Amino acid sequence: MILGSLISYPRAIVLGLLQGVSELFPVSSLGHTVILPGLLGWNVHQNAPYFLSFLVLTHLATALVLLGFFWRDWVRILKGIGRSLRDRGIAPGDADAKLGWLLVVGTIPAGIIGLLLQDTLRKAFASPKTAAAFLVANGVLLYAAELLRRRAPQTETDDDVRIARRVGFPDATVVGAIQSLALIPGFSRSGAAMGGGLFVGLSHKDAARFAFLLATPIIGAAAVLKLPQLFGHDGNGVRGQAFVAAVCSAATAYLAVRFLMRFFETRTLTPFAVYCFCAGLAATVYFVS
Amino acid sequence: MLAGMRTDRLLVGLAVLLGIALIVVAVVYWAEPAKSLPSFFPGHRAGSNHHHTKHGIAAFLVGLACFVFAWFRTGPKRAAPVA
Repeated sequence: MILGSLISYPRAIVLGLLQGVSELFPVSSLGHTVILPGLLGWNVHQNAPYFLSFLVLTHLATALVLLGFFWRDWVRILKGIGRSLRDRGIAPGDADAKLGWLLVVGTIPAGIIGLLLQDTLRKAFASPKTAAAFLVANGVLLYAAELLRRRAPQTETDDDVRIARRVGFPDATVVGAIQSLALIPGFSRSGAAMGGGLFVGLSHKDAARFAFLLATPIIGAAAVLKLPQLFGHDGNGVRGQAFVAAVCSAATAYLAVRFLMRFFETRTLTPFAVYCFCAGLAATVYFVS
Repeated sequence: MLAGMRTDRLLVGLAVLLGIALIVVAVVYWAEPAKSLPSFFPGHRAGSNHHHTKHGIAAFLVGLACFVFAWFRTGPKRAAPVA
């Protein structure tokens, strides 16, 4: 096989654009990256080292976009964490410090489960058929989160203060652990985290904000850990395509996060639940028949 | 009150011990290939030269979390948290 033909540039552009949108929309980026090539009949092996290396940069691009979008928040959060470490405690009213530690506590279970089970789960469930079936389950999960959510009182004007007041450390652990569902292609990280946020009493906007902040270190760290793979033997033949896909992914991720932060000011997860259910069902029927 | 203080100290002591143990485990994962890991370690595999770097990172991060917990637990008591 000619290495240059592993993933063509047009396909890299499509996969990059798709990754940027689907990573942040609660519709499972991994699921779409597995299902779409299957639907289009592309000869892409989702578990092959070259494909995993190709995806590394698109994930890194998404994480950098999130970091850039919430840059000011991250500076405040890191300063808050620094203050709390210096004072050996979270001062009453220090929402930035509380939010920072909520993110740390939420990241630990997702990080550990990801580090230990990522490869196993991806290998076990990477077929388009299973990804399509899990996309249906993702739709059900999003709708269930809407049905079971607690009504959020709108009191404080600052988003981070609201999140810090509403979310406790056990809640953050649960929301962080739920994110790990995204290791299974078809389940969405942001969807699971937003659903968890709604369940603990956040508004849609705050749940989305918390989910994006929580996702940034996880997506970024996972990508950075796999970067050597891209620059090693496994990246031969896909490096250029990965860079092009990363640029596309960054562009759509930026548009997606901007859109979603406005969307969730007034709207719910229900449209995404319906999309996942219908698209997953249609893809399942296609792959089974 | 005294009992509470004793429990607090016990928790801090346990967190520090666990933190040290986990950092040692992390170093072992980074330094030794899978075949040389103690048999009770997850990831031990006879004849494998693979280094379980990710297992090491996970152990290191949890160890660090134990130290942070101990650090906060030994800090000055505060009246009321934000939540």
